[in-house]
Amino acid sequence: MTTSTQANKNIIELATFYVGDALCGMDILKVQEINKLMEMTKVPQAPDYVIGILNLRGQIVTIIDLGKKLGLGSTDLGLDPRNIIVNAPSEHIGLLVKRISDVVMADPDKIESAPANMNGIQGGYFTGVYKTDNKLIGILDIQAVLKMSSENINRV
Amino acid sequence: MSFEDDEILQGFIEESLEHLADIENDLLAIEERGADIDVELVNKVFRAAHSIKGGAGFMGLTVIQDLAHAAENVLGLIRAEKLTPTPEIVNTLLLASDQLQQLIEDTGNSNSVDINSHVSALNLIFEQGEPAPGGDQPVAEAAADEPAPIEEGTVEAESPPQEAAPFYLDEELIKPEPVAEVEPEPIPEPQADPVAEALPEPAPLPQQEKAQKKPSKQAAVPVTKQDTSIRVTVSLLDQLMNLAGELVLSRNQLLQTISSGDGRNAEAVGQRIDLVTSELQEAIMLTRMQPIGNVFNKFPRVVRDLSKKLDKQMDLTIVGKDVELDKTIIEAINDPLTHLVRNSVDHGVERPADRVKKGKDARGLIVLKAYHAAGQVVIEISDDGKGIDGDALAETAIKKGLITQEQANVLSEKERINLILLPGFSTAEQVTDVSGRGVGMDVVKTNLDQLGGSIEIDSEVGKGSTISIKLPLTLAIIPCQIIMTGGERYAIPQVNLEELLRIPASRIKERIERVGDAEVVRLRGNLLPLIRMADVFEIERTYFDPVSEETRLDRRENVADRRSKSTPLKTDQEEQEEAEAARKQQEQPRKGDRRQSVASAMNIVVVSTGAMKYGLIVDQLQDSEEIVIKPLGRHLQQCQGYAGATIMGDGRIALILDVSSIAGMAGLTSLEGSERAAELADAAKDAITKTRDKQALLTFSSAPTEFFGVPLNQVERVEKIKQDDVEDVGGRRVMQYRGGTLPLVSIDEVAMVQPMDIQENLLVIVFHLAGRDVGLLATGPIDAIEISSDIDDVTLKQTGIMGSSIIGEKTTMLVDIFEIVQTINPQWFEELTASGSFEDEEVAPTILIVEDSNFFRNQVKGYMEEAGFQVLEAEDGLEALQVLEENISEITMVVTDIEMPNMDGFELTEKIKNNPEYAHLPVIALTTLAADEDIARGKSVGVDEYHIKLDKERLMKSVHKYAKECSLA
Repeated sequence: MTTSTQANKNIIELATFYVGDALCGMDILKVQEINKLMEMTKVPQAPDYVIGILNLRGQIVTIIDLGKKLGLGSTDLGLDPRNIIVNAPSEHIGLLVKRISDVVMADPDKIESAPANMNGIQGGYFTGVYKTDNKLIGILDIQAVLKMSSENINRV
Repeated sequence: MSFEDDEILQGFIEESLEHLADIENDLLAIEERGADIDVELVNKVFRAAHSIKGGAGFMGLTVIQDLAHAAENVLGLIRAEKLTPTPEIVNTLLLASDQLQQLIEDTGNSNSVDINSHVSALNLIFEQGEPAPGGDQPVAEAAADEPAPIEEGTVEAESPPQEAAPFYLDEELIKPEPVAEVEPEPIPEPQADPVAEALPEPAPLPQQEKAQKKPSKQAAVPVTKQDTSIRVTVSLLDQLMNLAGELVLSRNQLLQTISSGDGRNAEAVGQRIDLVTSELQEAIMLTRMQPIGNVFNKFPRVVRDLSKKLDKQMDLTIVGKDVELDKTIIEAINDPLTHLVRNSVDHGVERPADRVKKGKDARGLIVLKAYHAAGQVVIEISDDGKGIDGDALAETAIKKGLITQEQANVLSEKERINLILLPGFSTAEQVTDVSGRGVGMDVVKTNLDQLGGSIEIDSEVGKGSTISIKLPLTLAIIPCQIIMTGGERYAIPQVNLEELLRIPASRIKERIERVGDAEVVRLRGNLLPLIRMADVFEIERTYFDPVSEETRLDRRENVADRRSKSTPLKTDQEEQEEAEAARKQQEQPRKGDRRQSVASAMNIVVVSTGAMKYGLIVDQLQDSEEIVIKPLGRHLQQCQGYAGATIMGDGRIALILDVSSIAGMAGLTSLEGSERAAELADAAKDAITKTRDKQALLTFSSAPTEFFGVPLNQVERVEKIKQDDVEDVGGRRVMQYRGGTLPLVSIDEVAMVQPMDIQENLLVIVFHLAGRDVGLLATGPIDAIEISSDIDDVTLKQTGIMGSSIIGEKTTMLVDIFEIVQTINPQWFEELTASGSFEDEEVAPTILIVEDSNFFRNQVKGYMEEAGFQVLEAEDGLEALQVLEENISEITMVVTDIEMPNMDGFELTEKIKNNPEYAHLPVIALTTLAADEDIARGKSVGVDEYHIKLDKERLMKSVHKYAKECSLA
């Protein structure tokens, strides 16, 4: 494993998943784990994209509905969505996505800069797009996604 | 630097900071004693300086070494009693120790700091004192003394935050002399040896093997500060180790039990784990506990410096240094305390001249006290200064538009003083003008609120003030009350919890009152504002059905009332509120229906934050649990109302409520609360004057469908008995009561009502009549209520029943206990009537009854006529005067109601007593107003006797008494 990464140190692995109908990806090294949605506790008054908090082995994880956050409407909890747990500074955050897709090996050189808009998602949330043989993966800027909504207002 | 070096350096830093913390207080003590030098104390400081010097030399921290050395020289002179520690000298030493602390906190850069001013100042003192060989000698001794323990135990290594320590020196001392480099030379030499010996030790001071340092456990508190370390005694560590061992054993047992499926054993193992865990928790808690002395210790210096600057004289007494608090709290309490102490020095205590003028000791006294009380730690800061003028504060608050004049009028003195804690109350200048206090007190309060603490101020103008702070022992684990609303559980910290209140469905209407859009509940005479948790958090209203054990949606108009969560403009909000108010009114009947079902009582958690108290309406009350606070993520920080989250036994998360911010969210401040209370008091007063004649009734029942009431003031007491307690003896029902036999009667014996429903559990209402006790059998539910005198004395009147009234939508019959007892036991009253009867030839006295309520008038008239008196009636004071005028020759006595239209009883009595023609008439006041001030007022206008309405026996007794007096006269 170590040797192979060293050999192709330029290749990055993208964990891909569907947010609404859009295929998105993120650096797999940023993913701590992927879970089924466990029992959540709703937080009244929370921002609308925060759908609750849950207990992940004693840690309190804030769950963000990625669909809502990216402006694609809320993710249907009935369709067995998945929860991607990522590490944020001093906390864990769960990103709720509709469906998990493959892990894609990507050559960083082939990553193109993000368009202003992709499948209805604001371009600001992407660091770039990666084109495979048959699909286009938007690479999410996790930091931008995890930013608070108030901070996002300033970016526009 | 290698890792090992780093560790040694770290050890040195901790060690030295500890020494410095001691040095400061010791220096102050030395200063206090002046010429009367305590050699031991000086020695201690000397040794501390010396250790620092030694360590620094070893580490190559030359600047620290030089400074410590210079200080040590001066101390050596003092120790040898060759130098008297004047305040100037001590000041220089203190400044030097401040500088040392700064240097040590930043050892990396310490060698490039310029410390010439300090060194030269110290050396100047040294030279002026006695430069001679004497200086060297003690140093050598000190080196030998070194291994003596200086202070051991669990002293925290972290230093209190520095107030800017300026390079300020007394003018006379600033005479830069380049002696620094030359002077120290002779002394470091002998030092080299002991230090070299210490080399293999991880820390330069080997004497503290007993105490080990141990990195502090990562608490559940967000790490905002630098990682610090903490000292824990080895015995405690051993204990922890033991407990951990036990836990492992228990786990093995548990695993075994699970694999063998032995259910019975599981219980035992569970108990064991429970026990070990709580012991472990306690032990770990202990490691976090720090004496509050760590914070208190810096205050002598603060007070000294500040009072010097302000030209005041002040003593500081510290009590309870040993009281222990959680490390996090100790750290967080530092700033607010400093603030309060400075406030006391700056504004509380007057200048010496002013104090003398007021006849106080010129020296002010500030007492800093810590003690345990009710599972909390209380810190009190009291001064004997000028105190806080509540009126002045109220004025300022009005001026600033924080409260209105009307609000101020209803505030108690204490509330006025506590106005100082209102956010935005003051900036320094403005309040200093008025009261001299209040610089940013709201900030102090906010800080304390965050810690789960509370603050209270007591003050007497001219005498001083006391500020008490209550703090939880620890933040990490707190006992909480678990509640449920909207299907989710929430935790309310027990420190905020006052009581739990459950209002049965049938009583909600009468207990919960509405003032404007605010709901309040009357709790033991006080009005308590209510907050519906669901509304504040914008959750859909639900209720919990204990029968089906599920949470259901409270019926309300849907669709339209879904409030948008995006920040609505203010106008929007108002519109919504209006819409909601309208909707609520529509809702009212429906809700009434639903609430009538037994299932849905109203659960209220009465919580308090400092001076404010309110009730939070929740769906369901659950257990109280000890919970561990975990912080909420960044995205939820902006949500108000939460203090964090916790993981419950079943693995789910419950949010912890922040009681004070919920009050804020509901737009409830303590002032608003009192405003509402004032409004309500007014409303209540209005209500009383409108309906007048409120009668307190005890309601009960005897058959399932019939309800009865008796005037509460006739009731002696109510006993709960079992059916078996009732004995049937000699055709009479009796029970044993207080060593005697209590005759029992029931309503159905006399009145035509449904037969008594004999149940397992019965109630006996005990009355005292004709000098005896008699018990009335009844069944629950019983209740004490107040009704207005809307009593129908026709429809249901019969023997034993004086009338009826509608109470809580039920027709309630009012029991005439006299009639009942009289019917059953006529002989009891024979005596009475004998004494009160009139001989035929005698003219029966005439009594004027003044009463506006038909019911009561007829009732009283009935009593009087029964006893043979002549009766004249009047409906109010004016009419009574008229009747008096016409019949003055006949009337012997006036029995009057107090609350009447046109002219009330007080006025009437006054008129009677002031008119020489009538003045001889005894006036008996008959009232439901039995408050002390009413009685006092009655007495002052000349009421001869006061009687609570419809206490027939007492009334008749005094009527007879006065009638006799009259006839004799």
